[in-house]
Amino acid sequence: MAETKRKTNRAPAKRNKKGKDNKWNKGPHLPNSLKKELDSLNPRDISDEEMQSDDDIDVYEYEEKVPDEELKKNRSIGLMDDEDVASDDEDGEDEGKKGASDEDDEDGDEDDGGDDDDDEKHARMLQDITGLPGDAFDGKKKKNNDVVFEAYPESEYNPSRDVLDGDGRITIDDLLNPLHGKSGFSKIRKDVQRIDKKSKSVLPPLPKPQQEKIDRKSTYVYSKKKLTEYEPLVKKNREAPTIFFDEDIDVGYSTVGAIASEFRPRTEFEKKMDLLINAKELSDAHKSDGARLLELNKVSAEDVKERQDRLAKMRSLLFRHELKSKRVKHIKSKTYRRLLKKDKSKAGSIDTEMDPEAAKELAEKQEFKRAEERMTLKHKNTSKWAKRIKKRGFDVQDDGTRAAISEQLQQHALLTRKRNSMHDGETSSDDSMDDDDEDISGDEDDASKLKLLEKGKKRTLEVLEEDDDVPKSGLLSLPFMVRGQKKKKEAADEEARLALEEFDSSLKQLEGDDDVKNKNIGSLGGRKVFGAQKKQVSQSKIKVNNKDNYFDNSDSEDDGDITEDVKDKHDRINTQKDVTIDTNILREESEVGHDPLFKVSFDDISKDSGPKIEYDVSLVHTNTSKKKRDNKKHSNRVESGKKAKVMKPEVVEPAAKVMKSKVAEPASNKDVDIEHGDDDSDTDGEIRMVDGVITSGTDYELPSQDDLIKRAFAGDEVEDDFEKAKQEVLNEEIPEPEKPVLLPGWGQWTRIQKKRGLPSWMLAEHERAKKKRDEELKKRPDSHLKHVIISQKLDKKAEKLQTKVLPYPFKSKEHFEQSNRMPLGPEFNPATTIGLLNRPEVVKKPGVSIKPIKLKK
Amino acid sequence: MEEIHDVSDELEIKVKKYQRGEAADLEWLMQTEEGRLEAEGLEKTWRFNQQAIASEVDVASRKNQFDLVLPDLGPYTLDYTSSGRYMLSAGRKGHLSIIDLHTLKPIKDMQVRETVRDVVFLHNELFFAAAQKKYTYIYNREGTELHCLKEHGAVLKLQFLKNHFLLSSINKLGQLHYQDITTGQMIGNYRSGLGRTDVLQLNPYNSVLTSGHSGGTVSMWKPTSPSPLVKMLCHRGPVTAIAFHPNGHLMATAGMDKKLKIWDLRKYEAIQTLPGLAKSLDFSQKGMLATSTGSFVQVLATSDSQDYSRYMIHTMPKGYQINKVLFRPYEDVLGIGHSSGLSSILIPGSGEPNFDSWVANPYETAKQRREKEVRVLLDKLPPESIMLDPTQIGNLRTSRKKEKPTKEEIEAEKAAAVAAVKNVSLKKKTKGRSKPSKMARKKQEGIEQAKRSFVEQNEDGVMKKKQKRITETSELPVALQPFVSRKAT
Repeated sequence: MAETKRKTNRAPAKRNKKGKDNKWNKGPHLPNSLKKELDSLNPRDISDEEMQSDDDIDVYEYEEKVPDEELKKNRSIGLMDDEDVASDDEDGEDEGKKGASDEDDEDGDEDDGGDDDDDEKHARMLQDITGLPGDAFDGKKKKNNDVVFEAYPESEYNPSRDVLDGDGRITIDDLLNPLHGKSGFSKIRKDVQRIDKKSKSVLPPLPKPQQEKIDRKSTYVYSKKKLTEYEPLVKKNREAPTIFFDEDIDVGYSTVGAIASEFRPRTEFEKKMDLLINAKELSDAHKSDGARLLELNKVSAEDVKERQDRLAKMRSLLFRHELKSKRVKHIKSKTYRRLLKKDKSKAGSIDTEMDPEAAKELAEKQEFKRAEERMTLKHKNTSKWAKRIKKRGFDVQDDGTRAAISEQLQQHALLTRKRNSMHDGETSSDDSMDDDDEDISGDEDDASKLKLLEKGKKRTLEVLEEDDDVPKSGLLSLPFMVRGQKKKKEAADEEARLALEEFDSSLKQLEGDDDVKNKNIGSLGGRKVFGAQKKQVSQSKIKVNNKDNYFDNSDSEDDGDITEDVKDKHDRINTQKDVTIDTNILREESEVGHDPLFKVSFDDISKDSGPKIEYDVSLVHTNTSKKKRDNKKHSNRVESGKKAKVMKPEVVEPAAKVMKSKVAEPASNKDVDIEHGDDDSDTDGEIRMVDGVITSGTDYELPSQDDLIKRAFAGDEVEDDFEKAKQEVLNEEIPEPEKPVLLPGWGQWTRIQKKRGLPSWMLAEHERAKKKRDEELKKRPDSHLKHVIISQKLDKKAEKLQTKVLPYPFKSKEHFEQSNRMPLGPEFNPATTIGLLNRPEVVKKPGVSIKPIKLKK
Repeated sequence: MEEIHDVSDELEIKVKKYQRGEAADLEWLMQTEEGRLEAEGLEKTWRFNQQAIASEVDVASRKNQFDLVLPDLGPYTLDYTSSGRYMLSAGRKGHLSIIDLHTLKPIKDMQVRETVRDVVFLHNELFFAAAQKKYTYIYNREGTELHCLKEHGAVLKLQFLKNHFLLSSINKLGQLHYQDITTGQMIGNYRSGLGRTDVLQLNPYNSVLTSGHSGGTVSMWKPTSPSPLVKMLCHRGPVTAIAFHPNGHLMATAGMDKKLKIWDLRKYEAIQTLPGLAKSLDFSQKGMLATSTGSFVQVLATSDSQDYSRYMIHTMPKGYQINKVLFRPYEDVLGIGHSSGLSSILIPGSGEPNFDSWVANPYETAKQRREKEVRVLLDKLPPESIMLDPTQIGNLRTSRKKEKPTKEEIEAEKAAAVAAVKNVSLKKKTKGRSKPSKMARKKQEGIEQAKRSFVEQNEDGVMKKKQKRITETSELPVALQPFVSRKAT
C-alpha cells in the first residue's frame, strides 16, 4: 500500500486534470473533525473520496509530473479508491438507517458500468424467461453487493466507526421502527415504554482485571483474619512444656451393665420381647409387692389340658419308635441284615443315579473309608482277634473263621486296590494331559517319548541319590532292622540303576541322527561309567563291610581307607573297560553288572586286601597301646618330677630367704630379677635353674667390687634414663625445629661466602621456631616437673565424650563446666521436681486419637 | 528489727529451697560412727597389740581376728568383694578358696595343682579370675572353670575395673591387657616396654591402672591409649608396691631404695617421704595405709595434719613372709596373706562404718545380688571414659591445632583463598588503567598467587625431605658432597 500511496502523491496534477470525472474538488484544507461535521450537515455535498484524497494531499505538497505509464496505474488506483468509497457509503447507510440503496446503485452504475450492463442483461433475460418481476432477481444481487466485511471483528480494540464518531448508540426505538404497523407492535411499544419509565441506568461492569483485583483484596483481608485466628493458640501450645490431650475424653462403657442399659430393641422380635418384658402391668407388679405376678401367671384350664394331651401323644410316639428300633436292633438274622443293607445301598444307588450331589457324597464317603482303611489297617489282620487266630494257626481254625479272615483280607485288598486304581487313574489322566500338551506343542511322538524317558531317568536318579534316614530310635533302629532296610535299599537301588540304564539305551536308540548319536555316545558313555562305578563301589563297600564284620576291633577310619583302596582298583578296571566301551555294548554291560565273574573278581580283590588290613589294624592297635603306655609312663614320670619339684622348694626356700637377708638389700635391677625368679621358682622349671644356683647357698660368692659399685650407683642411671625418656617423648609430641642447612655446594664456593655463613633469615626463622617450641613446652603441665611425663596426646576415642562447641545458652566455658558439676538424677533431686522435669512433652491416653485444634473464643 | 527478722526468714526459706526440702538427717543415715585408737598421755597407739584390742571389742568384732595356718601351699594372696563379705584367697601352689566372712565357713575350697600368682573377684562373689601358671582362668563360685583367657599370657597381676567390667592384667613380658568380661572382647593390649613387673594397682577414683617398674618409674595407663598417660620417676630403685587412696588424690609407692613416698596426684609431687621397705601397700577406706615387710605389718594414719605417721604395728611369727596386706571394706579389719596362711587383724577406724546398700551391701540377698548385677550392667561405662580427670567428661573439648592439616582441609583452604581473591572488588584507577582487560588480568594474577602459595606449601614438604637426606651426608667435605651417590648411603 505504501508504494501505491507514494505513487498517488506523485501524480496530483494528472488527477486534477480528470478532476471532473472523479468529482475532484480543490478546497480549503480542513481538519477531519470539521469535515465530519460538515458532512453531517449536508451529507452528500462532498464525497468521501475527496476526504481521502484530501488526507493525502494535506501531507504532501510536492507536485511533479508523472510519466504516462504511471497514469494508467493511477487510474486503476482511482477505481480502487472508488470502491473504498462505496464501502464507506454503506457504513453511512448503517448510520442513518435510511434507504441509501439508490445512491449505491448510482455509484455502481457510474463506477463499474461494464459489470452492471452485464447484470442488467442477465436480469432482463431472467425476466423474460421466468416472467417474474426483475426485482426478485435484483434483491438477491443487491444483498450480495451490500454485504461488505470488515477486516477485523468488531471489538473494543477495533471499534466500528459509529462508536468512534460519537453518538452511535442504537436505541430501542431504532429497533422498533421497522416493526411499525405489524401486529403486536403496540403491545411491545407499551412494554418498552413501561420499562423505560422504571429503568435506571445500569453502570457498565468494571473491567475484569480491576474486578479481580478488588476480589483479591477483599479475600486477602478475610483470609488474613482467618489465618491469624489460630496464632495465639498455636503459640501457646508451642511454648507449653507439656501438652495434655486427655483432659475430658470419655473412653466409653467400662462395664457390661452399662452397655446393656443402653440397649434399644431394633428388630421386630426384639420389640415384641421388649413389649412383653416391659409391659406396664408386669413392671407395676414388680414394683408393688409381687402378689399380682401370680395373677398374671394364670393360665386357662383348657390351655393346660391341650398342652398335656399334646405332650402325652408325643411321648407315646417316641416310646413306640424306641421299642421298634430296639426290636429291629436285636434281630440277629444275617439274611435280614444283608437284605437291609442291600435295600439301603439300592436306595443309595438310586439316589446317586438320580442326583449328582448324592453321588458326590457317596464318592466322598468311599474316599473317607479308604483313607480310614489306609490309616487304621483295620482289615489287615492287625486286630486283636486276627492276631489271636494267627497265633493259634490257620489250620486249627474252623472254616467260618478262615473264611472271615480271608474275607477281611480280601476287603483290605479291595480297598487298597481301589485306591491304587483310583490314583493310577488320576495320575494317568494327569500324564495324558501332559502328554496331550506336549503333543500339541511338539506334535512328535519321539520327542514326547524322549521327554518321558528323561523324566523317568530323573526320577530314578532322584531315588538313587536320596539318602534314607535311618531312624535313631524305635523298632527300625534295631540292628537287624537296619540291616534289612539296607538290603532292601540296595535291591531297590539296583533296580533303579537297571532302569536307568534301560532309559539310557532307549534314549540312545531314539536318537535319529548319526551325529547326534556320536555326540551322545560320549556323554552317555561318561554317564554310564559313572553309574557303573558307583554301583561297583557300593558293591565293594558291601564286601568290605562284610569282611570288616570279621575284624571286630577295626576302626571306622580304617574302613574308609580300605574302601578307598578298593575303589581305586575298581577305577582302574573301569578305565580299562572304558576303552572298549561301545554304544551297542552298553545295554549288555548293564547285565554284566550282575555277572558272577565280575563278582568273583571283586571278591578276589577284597580277599587280597583283607589280610593287609588286618595287619594294619593290629599294627595301629599295638602302636596306640604302646603309646598309651608310654604316655602313662611319661605322665608318671612327670608326676614324680613334679612331686620332686614341689618337694624341693619347701626345703630350699628358707635357705634362699636367709641368703637374701644376708645380701643386705642392694638396690639393683639384678636383685629384683633374682626375686622374681624366686617367686616363680615353685613350678617353672627354667627359672628353677636360676633359683637352684642361688639357693644352693653354700657356694654363694661375694659380689665383685665392680658389681657392688654398679649396684650402688644404679639409681643415678635411672634418673638419666628418665630424663632421656622425657626428652624423647617431648620430641615426639612437639618436634624440634630442624637446623638450618644450606644445600651443599650453594653459597659456599668463595671464602667470603663461607665467612658469612648461613643467611640471616634462615637463622631468624630457626630462632622463631625454637622459641615457639619452648613456649609450647612451657605450656605443658609437666614443664616444671622433672620427674613426670604427662602425655598430651589426644585420645580420639574419648573425644566423643566431650562437646565440640559451647551449648547455646552458655556464654563462657567456665560457666558451662560449672553447670556440669551439678548432679542430676533421682539420687540428688526430690521426686516431685524429677517428675516435673521428666514429664514427657505430650501427655495422652493410649488408644485415644488426637483431635485437631478447636478454636476457643 | 522486724526487717532483719524478715531477711533471716527469707534466707531460711531460700536455704530450704536449695536444700530441696529438709536437710537429710545424717543421724539416721549414718548410724554408726567410726572409732579409733586414742592414746592418752604417754601412751602410743602402736603399743596396743591385737590381744589388748581383742579384750576390749565385742564378740562380733573379735570374730574377725583369726589366723588360718596353711603352711603347705605357700605364700597366700587374697581379695575381698566390694562389700567385704567374701574373701578369696589363693596359695601360690594352687590352693583357691572362698570364705564367707560372716559365717567364717568356706564356700569353696579347691586345688588347681598349678602356680597361682594372683586372684581377683569379678563384679560379685559368684565369679573370680585366677592368674595361673600359663593362662588366666575365670571360675565361678562352685569352682567350675568358665573361661580360659589365653590371650593374657602368663599373668603376674590381675586387676578388675568394676565400673567398666574390664579385667586387666600384666604378664611376664610386661604386656598390659584389658578384656571386657561382658563381651569377651579384648579392649587393649599394650606393651609397657619397661620390663617385667608384678606391681599393678587400680586407681579407684578414675580407674586408671598404675604399674611400677624396675627403673623406679610408675606409669599410668588407660585402655584406649598405647602410651602411658603419666610416667613418673618415683624411686631410685625398682618399685615394689603401689596403693591409692580411695579419693584418688593420694598415691603411696614403695621402692627398693628403702623409701615409702606419698604423692599428691593433682600436683604429681611427693608430699611425704618415709623411710623403710614395703613389699605390699594398701589404703583403707578411711585413708589408713598398711605396709608390710617380711613378717612385719605397719599401719600409718593421718591425724589432724596431712602427714602420715605410725598408727599401729603387728608382727607375725618369725619366718612368716607377708605376701599381701589388704583392708577389708566396711570393717576395721586388715587381711594378711603370708607364706604360711592367712591372718586377719583389727585396725580400729580403718573401714567405713556405714555402708550404702546401693553401692555395696554386705548383707545382700541372692535376689538383691541379681538385681544389682543387672543394674550394674546397665550402668557399665565404656572403656574410653577412663581418663586422668573424669570430670572432663561432658565438658568442652580443648581445641588443639593439628600437626598437619589433612588434604581435604588444604583443599578447602585453597578454595576459600581463591574465592576471597575473586570477590575482591578492584579500585577504580585513572583512565586506561582500569580497562576491563587489565582488571581481568589482575584478578587472574591474584588467583594464581593464591593458588601458588598452596603449591609452595606442598613443595616445602618435599624440600624438607630432600634437605634431610642431604644433611645425613653432610659429614663429607663440602666440595665432595654433590658427588655422593644415593645408592652408596
